[in-house]
Order: sequence, then structure tokens, then C-alpha cells
Amino acid sequence: MRKSIGKKIVFYVILVVVWQIVAFTNIWPNNIFPSPIEVGEDLAYSAADGSLFYGIAISMSRLIVGLAIAISGGIVLGIFMARVEVVNQTIGSLVLGLQSIPSIAWVPLAILWFGLNDGGIIFVIVIGAIFAVTINTYTGVKNIDPNYIAAARNMGAKGSQLIIHVLIPAAFPYMISGFRQGWAFAWRGLIGAELLFSFLGLGFLLNVGRQLTDVSQVIAIMIVIMGIGILVDGFVYKRLENKVMSKWGLR
Amino acid sequence: MTKFEAKNIVKNFRHEDYTLRALDGINLKVEAGDFVCLVGPSGCGKSTFLRIAAGLDTPDEGEIKFDGKTITGTGPERILVFQEGALFPWLKVSDNVEFGLKMAGVPKDDRSQISKRFLDMMQLTKFANAYTHQLSTGMKQRVAIARALVMDPDVLLMDEPFAALDALTRDLLLVEMQLIWEKTKKTIIFVTHNVSEAVVLGNKIAIFSNRPSRIKKELIIDYRRPRLVEDENLMKYQKQILAELRPEVKKLDGNKK
Ligand SMILES: Nc1ncnc2c1ncn2[C@@H]1O[C@H](COP(=O)(O)OP(=O)(O)O)[C@@H](O)[C@H]1O
Ligand SMILES: [Mg+2]
Repeated sequence: MRKSIGKKIVFYVILVVVWQIVAFTNIWPNNIFPSPIEVGEDLAYSAADGSLFYGIAISMSRLIVGLAIAISGGIVLGIFMARVEVVNQTIGSLVLGLQSIPSIAWVPLAILWFGLNDGGIIFVIVIGAIFAVTINTYTGVKNIDPNYIAAARNMGAKGSQLIIHVLIPAAFPYMISGFRQGWAFAWRGLIGAELLFSFLGLGFLLNVGRQLTDVSQVIAIMIVIMGIGILVDGFVYKRLENKVMSKWGLR
Repeated sequence: MTKFEAKNIVKNFRHEDYTLRALDGINLKVEAGDFVCLVGPSGCGKSTFLRIAAGLDTPDEGEIKFDGKTITGTGPERILVFQEGALFPWLKVSDNVEFGLKMAGVPKDDRSQISKRFLDMMQLTKFANAYTHQLSTGMKQRVAIARALVMDPDVLLMDEPFAALDALTRDLLLVEMQLIWEKTKKTIIFVTHNVSEAVVLGNKIAIFSNRPSRIKKELIIDYRRPRLVEDENLMKYQKQILAELRPEVKKLDGNKK
């Protein structure tokens, strides 16, 4: 990763320069295809008046609440499915079905059930992320070396002890992939839901940009959305994954 | 005093189109402080028997008695050391060793004091903070043994713990195992398919027949300790055991489909 960083910088510099040149030629009118400088100005402006950070904070707080619910619920559900065959045969098949629904398709139901408020948004996040966590937890628990469980039982672990001290840590490498996928679904679902029905948040700012036909604001917000995605994935998940993998000696 | 007794243990494994009778009435009496080695051809059901003895699996017929009472499940008085160690890769060596104490609710300070003693006994003190993947196979087995000893079981059940070791490490551990046994006075039931290992360790050898298996013969080895693998006086015992085992291994070849 370190070695490729120079290439990345060069690539993005070229990309921005080309974008600037294309914008400069005025093939498309400026209000439809703004230059990177205008987008940058827009970013700086919304950063300066605080609206950008406020939007980020609102979106992230919704995301954190939703993801926390999805992760804890998904872990519980996944462990149940892995350990109780009848749960797997029944609820398990439903989980696989629900997982195939794009989270944005839950928005109408969220509005009808919760109304146009944070509850609805969080619902969309939870429902978008929970099944990825469930399925990965299930796979992780199913793949635990049965001797770990036997050894733990032999040493007196039972019930919740077995879950907390053996099943969860043993399945953790799989669960991280579940968190990562869950986060990706949640992030997409969140922005989509905010775009459709919310006040405040990054999705809402996108929508405001569209209503004001302010293309450079739309692009600016999209860049922020992308940046947060890269940052969370690269810093939170890659780090977590590396830490666990090296601790286990898998890398 | 009889510490452990297996009475007519029968175990079948049901497959889709046939049933495999692994154990066909195993009877075994183990006195307190015995070091019993179970030898038999691979696949005859030695691991299955140990799992039943630990209470991790239930027999189809028969019962295991511990101190005269029939067991109904696992218990801290019977601890199994697995063939591959089954150490937890998410825990440090010291936390692996302390696991059973933690489950029993022993406070942290007491736990680390107890585990220190056993880490020291198994010469693992330097590795207390290592993760298990950083250890050699021999070190891992030491951790597995320490983790079992910490539970202070009456009976230690060991399933081919030295099978994956190189010869030098194994010889070293064979001597240490005898010293541990003498020091801790544990009752040990030790499974191996290695005859020279059995005669070095056991004061009693139980020979398994091929599947469906029973105990074909028992042998007492009354000889000074610590015994060394290269001791020629042990050869005659090895020969006796091999004479019993050879026809069983041949049967096994004949059984293969
Ligand atoms: N859980 C199981 N399900 C089906 N068959 C099993 C199971 N465990 C062991 N067996 C079979 O029982 C026989 C005895 O196995 P095992 O006890 O592992 O033998 P050993 O330890 O003596 O090599 C083998 O043929 C094995 O395939
Ligand atoms: Mg075995």
C-alpha cells in the first residue's frame, strides 16, 4: 500500500487537471459541468458556515446508532442460527431472502411505519446492515473448530460463557467481514433514505443541491460521501482486520 | 482404589447407509495414580473412547464411573488434552492457561498466580504473553498440558499429544511427562499409537483390537523411572505389544474398501 501511494497522488492530480481543462473548454455549460475549483469553493464555503460538518455529524450519528443495533442484533441472530438447527431452517431462509432486498426498497415501509423522522432512517440502516452481519456471524460460528468448543466445555464453559469467551472470539475474523459489508450497506441505505425523506444529513444536502440546481454542491457532497466511505473502510475496518489477523497469525 | 472405570462402553456411528460400530464393549479399570496407555491401530476408536470418558460424547451402551459414581457429562475432574492441542488462537498463552479458572470465577490475581506456577513447570514463562501461533508444535503441547493441569483434574485424559512432534522434542517431553506425573500424582489415561511411547510412559498398557474394538489385552510394566526411549530393557515389552497389535493392523488393511 505504501509503495502505491505515489502513483495514487499522481493519478488524482492528473484527474483533477483533466477535469479543469474540460471544464475550461466550456463544451458543457458551466452550471451543468462545474470546474474542480468551483466545487472546491463550494466545499470550502459549506465548511466555513458549518453546514457541511453539521450534515456529516447528523448522518454519522444516525449511522452509528443504526449500525450498533444491526451489529448486536446480527450477532445474536447469527449465533442462534448456527447453534439451533431449527432456527437456521426457518429464520435462516427468511434472512437470505430479506438480504436480497436493496435497503432503499425499505424506505416506503420505513416512512409508513415510523414517519418522516430519524426512526425511519435508522430503520433503513438497521434492516440494510443486519443480515450481512447475521450471515457472516453464522458462517463464522459454523466454521469454528469443534475442538475449541469441546475443550471449552470440558474446562467448564457453558451457556453465555461459551458464547462470550469462545463463539464470538472464534468467529470474529468472519464477523469483521460482516461488519464491513454491513457498514457498506448501511452507508448506501442511509444516504438513499436521507435523500428521499429526511431533514438534515448529507443525503439531504444532496437533495438541496438538486433543488437549487447547484451542480457544484451536488458534486461536492458526493465527494465528501466518497471520502468518508474510503476513510472508514481504510482506517476502521482495515485496521481492525489487520489487528485480528496478525494476532491470530493468519497473515 | 479405583478412580475411573469404563463398563461395557459401546459406541456406534450412524451413517446414511450403514452403521459403524466403533467401540464394542470397552471395559477398563484405572486405579488412582495409574499411568495407563491405550494403544491400538488408528481408527479403532481411541479418541472416541476418550471423548466419552471426558463426557463430551455419550456411549450407546455402558457407563463411565468416576470414584464409583456414574458420570453424566463433562467435569473439571476429568480434563482432556486434545491431539492438536485445541488452543485458543485469540488468547495469549497465559490466558489460554487461565481459561478454566476464569470460567470457574476465580479472581484475576489468583488466576495469574496459579497459571504462573504451571507456566513455570512447563517452562513456558518466557512465552506467557505470546499468541499461540508464535509457538512451535512442542511449545503448543506444553501449553495444552499446562492448561489442563491448571484445572487440577483427578484424571488427565491425553489424546496422542505428542503425535505431531519431532523425535527430539518428543523424547524430551516423554521424560518431562513422567516427572509431572510423579510430581502431581495425577491419574493419567494416555492414548497413543506409538508403542515405544507407550512403554516409556505407562505402568499399565491396554491394547485395543481393531474395530469394532475391545480391549484385547492388558499389560503391566513394572520398571524404574524415568524411563528413556533408548532403554533396551523396554524392548521386550514393545515386542509383546507389537505381537498383539500386528494382527489387528492387518485386519484393518483387510477391512479397507
Ligand atoms: N463423529 C463421528 N461421526 C462418524 N464417525 C466417526 C465420528 N468420530 C469418529 N468416527 C469414526 O469412528 C472410528 C474411530 O475413530 P477415532 O475414535 O477417531 O479413532 P482413533 O482415535 O483410534 O484413531 C473411525 O472409523 C472414525 O471414522
Ligand atoms: Mg485419534
